[in-house]
Formats: sequence, C-alpha cells, structure tokens
Amino acid sequence: MTDPPPTDSEPPIDYDFGAAAAELRLRLRALIREHLPAGFLGAFSDNPADLALTQEFCKVLADEGLLCLSWPTEYGGGGGSVWEQTTVREEMWAHHEPRGAQYMGVNWVGPALMRHGTEEQRAMHLPPIAAGEVIWCQGFSEPEAGTDLASLRTRAEPDGDGWLITGQKVWTSYAQMAQWCVLAATTDPQLPSAERLTLFLVPMDRDGIEVRPIASMLGPHHLNEVFLDKVRVGPQDVLGKVGSGWAVMRDALAYERVGIARYARCESLLARMLAVLDSDDSWDRLAPALHTRWVRALVDLRIARLLAYRAVGEQIDGIDPANAAAARIVTTTCDQSVAEILMEAAGAAALDAGPTGPLAGAVDDHWRYAQAATVASGTIEVQRILVARSVLGASR
Amino acid sequence: MRTTLPADVVSYGDAARSRLSRLGGAEFALRCETDRPLRDGAGEALSDLGASDLDVRSDLNQFLAAAQLCRVAGSVALPWPLVEELLAIDGARLALLDPMTPRIDHGDLAGSWVGSDLDGHAVAVRPGPPRTAKLGPFVVLAELGETAARISAADVARHQVLASWRILGTLEAAFGQVVEHVRARTQFGQPLAEFQAVRFAIADANVALRGLEELAKFTSWRLAAAPGPRAAVDATVLRLSAVDSAVRVLRTCHQMLGAVGFCNEHDVSVLDRHLQPLLRLPVSAEVLAARLVPAVKSGDFETLFSDAGGVAH
Repeated sequence: MTDPPPTDSEPPIDYDFGAAAAELRLRLRALIREHLPAGFLGAFSDNPADLALTQEFCKVLADEGLLCLSWPTEYGGGGGSVWEQTTVREEMWAHHEPRGAQYMGVNWVGPALMRHGTEEQRAMHLPPIAAGEVIWCQGFSEPEAGTDLASLRTRAEPDGDGWLITGQKVWTSYAQMAQWCVLAATTDPQLPSAERLTLFLVPMDRDGIEVRPIASMLGPHHLNEVFLDKVRVGPQDVLGKVGSGWAVMRDALAYERVGIARYARCESLLARMLAVLDSDDSWDRLAPALHTRWVRALVDLRIARLLAYRAVGEQIDGIDPANAAAARIVTTTCDQSVAEILMEAAGAAALDAGPTGPLAGAVDDHWRYAQAATVASGTIEVQRILVARSVLGASR
Repeated sequence: MRTTLPADVVSYGDAARSRLSRLGGAEFALRCETDRPLRDGAGEALSDLGASDLDVRSDLNQFLAAAQLCRVAGSVALPWPLVEELLAIDGARLALLDPMTPRIDHGDLAGSWVGSDLDGHAVAVRPGPPRTAKLGPFVVLAELGETAARISAADVARHQVLASWRILGTLEAAFGQVVEHVRARTQFGQPLAEFQAVRFAIADANVALRGLEELAKFTSWRLAAAPGPRAAVDATVLRLSAVDSAVRVLRTCHQMLGAVGFCNEHDVSVLDRHLQPLLRLPVSAEVLAARLVPAVKSGDFETLFSDAGGVAH
C-alpha cells in the first residue's frame, strides 16, 4: 500500500515570472510606445534614421538601467533575475529589437569580457557597451567554415610580439555599422582543432580591414563580407588566452544558447494581424484550414516559450545543451510556419512591401528574415545533433 | 518560476511505476483483451496506490500526483479507466463523450457512469456489451439516458489534462523502446543509431516529448493558478498538442522498429492500439482545433500579447 503525497507538502510548480517582471514588461512597452514610431522594423534598413533611433533608444534604456539589466551591478548592470532578463529579451524581440545592433554587445560580448577579459579590456569596453554607445560585430563564419567553426582558415601569423591577421569572414551581421569586432583566427594550425583558435578584439577602422555588404533577401546589414589583409593585433587585443578561442566561444555562447525570443515576435505579429482582420470581419472569412493552422501555431509557440523557460531556468542550475537545442528547434520552425500563416492571411497583399504593406511591412519583413531562422546562430541540423546525442550518446 | 515537479510527487510516480509494472506491462494489457476479468487486477493495483484518495480538485500537488499516476498508467497501457475514476462524481465514473456517437473505453467494467460532452452537458449512460476491435479493444457503445447535473468546466478541463498526461506516458514508453531498438539493431554493419537519418528522427520525436511534458506541467499549474475560461482553453490546447504529438511520435516509433513493431508481442503495437481511444474520443484533433478558434479571437487563448496593453504598436 502506498499513500499519495500529502497536500501542499512541498512548493508546487509555478510559472509566474513574479511581480517585478510583470511590471517591467509594462514599463518596456510604455518606453517603446513613447520612443519608437509605429511601424518600426528595426535598425537593419536602408534608412540611417532607423539606426539612429535604436541608438537613441539604447541610451534611454541605459539611463533607465535597463540596457544591461542582466549584467552584475559591479559592471554597471541592473543585476536583474533571469526572468527579468527573459522579459527584456521577449519584449525587445517582439518589438523588432529596438536595441538594434547593441544586442551583440550586451548579450554576449559584454559577458565574455567579464569572464575572460583583462582588467584593462573590461575597463575599456564594458562602460561603452553599458551606455549603448558602441556596436560590436562577430567575425566567426568564413566561406569554408560556417557551422564547422573549428575549420577556420583566417590566420594570425606571429609578427614581433603580436600577429598579422589575414583572411576572409562572411555573413558578418552589422559589420558596416560596427566599431569593434570579436575576431576568430587560427594562431597555430598544427595544434588540435580545440586549441588552434584565438579571439581578438579589433577596432573595425584598423588598417587592413575592408567590409563589403552582400545584397540579400534578408535586407540590408544582415550579411557582409569582411576582408582582412595583414591586420596587426597585439597581446593586449587577445580575449582570454592564445589558443583558447574555441573554449571562450563555447563558454560565452552558453549564455545565449536559448537565442533570441523568436516566439515573442511571432505572437506579437499574430496578435497584430488578428486585430487587423477582426476590424472588418475578415477573420471570420478566413479559410477554416487557416484558422486551425493559426491555432496550431499558437500551440507550438506556447511550447517554444515553455521550452525556452526550461532552458533559461537551467542557467541557474546548470545548462543541459539538449534542452536549449530543443527550444531552438521549436522556436525557429515556429518562425517559419508563422511567416507562412501571415502571408496566407494577407492574401494578395502579401507581396506589398514597405509602410503600405500588411502590418506596415512587418509581414514581408518577417517572412524574409524567418528564412534564416533555421540557419543563423547554429543550424537546426546542429540542434538535432545535440538532441540526438543526449538521447543516443555520441555517434562514432 | 519553478518548473521541476516536487520530489514527493516524483516519488509517488516511482511507487506507481513499481506497482503497476508488476502487473506485467503491455503484455498484461494484451492478455486482458481475451480475458477481460483480468482487468480487475489493475483496479486492485490502483487501490494499493491509494488512487481514490487523491484529491484532484483542490490541491495542485495532489493533482500532479494523479497526473504522474496517469502518466505511469499510460506507460504500461493500464487496462483501466483511471482518468474517469479519478474524476468520478458521486461514485459514477466520468466519461467525456460525443452525444452523437457515444463510446466509452472500458465501459463494460462493473460500476456506474456519467457521460458529458466537452461543454459539460451531462447525461446518464448505459454502456453496451464488450466488442472486438484491434484499435481500442475495450471501447463499448453507450446509450444515453436522462439529463444529469451539469459537469463543471473545471472538471472537463481536469479530464482533458489527466488524459494528456496518460498519452504522454504512453509516448514516453514507446519512445524508450525505440531508443533501445535503434541502439541494439545492427544493419549495414553498424547500429541504426549511427545513421543520421535515424538520429534526426529520434531527435524530432524527443523534442516533441520534451515540449509535451513542459506543456502538461504548465497546464496543470494553470488549472490551479488561474481557473476560469482560460484554463478550459488551456486544457484543450494541451489535449490537441498531446494528440498531434502522439501521431508524430508513434509514426516515428513504427518506422524505426520496422515490421517487429506491428506484432502483437511487441509493446509498441499494444501501446499504440490501446492509446487510440484517447486520440479519437470524445472528438478528433481537428474538432479540438476548431473549438479553439473562437478562443483565438476572444483572447482566451492566452499569449504574451492577448491582453489589453499587448503589442506596443
């Protein structure tokens, strides 16, 4: 005979973020309403005013102590809980990331500097990031090394007490806007792949760096080539230790494994589209099959959100890479299915871009960007490999 | 936020697994198809576990314990109407049914029943005699009697949620068997688990299970934390997801197992056939999805932006 557990014997499960996070969500929405125009689609446009808006907004967030909420207070951060950080991530992405390119500096360059940077590097770089005054890009991918980062070919050849870096980076987002780059290069190709790479902190105006934008369906600024011709770097530019690039990358990215809160933008776009359709009864006239696709998309988005929360919760107790990978698989595939639903709901107007297009261009913008969801920042195949490894063990 | 099940809920689930497994697992369920009185052994095992003492209506931890019991019951295809019994009203098992085509799984067991549609319209029911079928071998037809007292929306929601936990348990058990199979089975000189096509299929099924588990926990919490119309919608969301996940995961299971998975002697065959009533009754997945459409429009299907003050622009 087994007795059931007594009532209220332990604290039960609880999915409430807490009052502070709820208040923060409303505060962020109020700031967005106040400082950003309706129809804002992010910094990655041909209009320089959009970039200026994000830089102004970053300063507003910084003044409110919200830009680096996730950072420890000793580095100028807000010391926010992971659930407050999650709220920021959701609200920013839902509203077309009004931090613009600051995302990179705040979410991973800054934390990487805190964990692996020298005192001088932290003093030099953290205050401008915390103030929203600097844009960073990430020089990892190369023409012959995308997912397989250990195969990078860009070489850092020893020269005096430093190195000369020569090679080519590709797909580098924000490279035209950025003042600084975290650049990965091979310092010793003879060593095992885990020890070949070194990360360098390099100003983008240093001699030998040339940026060429790549026109793409994603829109401007998402993709660039960066050519490096004998770019001089010194020991003071090394992030971490020489040969520790792979380890630093893995450690820093561990805090970003959940990635951007794509589910939040999907939910916001569906809510906006529903409001438009409902305003003239178009919602009721949608094909029944689209109604049920819409329902299933919302179901999957809820699951994506819960999987992300599970992975975020593990930041406190230790991260299971498979949980984060599962969250990414669901949220990135949601991004694409919602893109199709929005285009279907828009009908023939789906092909109208710009401010006069559906949701002031957001439907067109989302569909184009969603195509990269299962490719960018770790392909869906890599995520599946991680999940399979957790279930089946490593393949031989 | 606390998303891990309490330790005593987990240990109750462990005790349930130990006791119910002693019945003989899927093989026991298979024997019951031809020797129906054997099912009483399942009822006795549940009695040993104090199932009737679980208060599923007023305490979240007790509900979660019941959910773990349903999950374990699903994992062994327990031939007993556990969800219906946990939600019994005045001793009558509560069956959710479609009044146009009333059917009850294990309806032929001794005891009284009350039937309800998903909107809580209840009727007395007279289950018919046992039938013979591969899919849902214990399902019987039922005749509707007089109108009964309305079933609360909360009870209908609890029914849907506990049924979903039971579905999850079945899927986890089937998936576990498939994982063992692809690690052990060698073809072309290597285990199936070495082929990337197999690894990706396993990964996708595993992601579906992880997602369903999180959704089941969240929805259980919602029933207690935010009762009302939205909790009822949440329960339907979970049931729809459970059914959709079941179709996907079981398809993968059969494909990975090959012909052996279709054999009566294989657990996955039994688990799949005995799960079918939970995937089809009282209504199909498409009907569940259609029932959620008005909730999208009304905002009762809650998202980050379904309330006033939602999207900033």
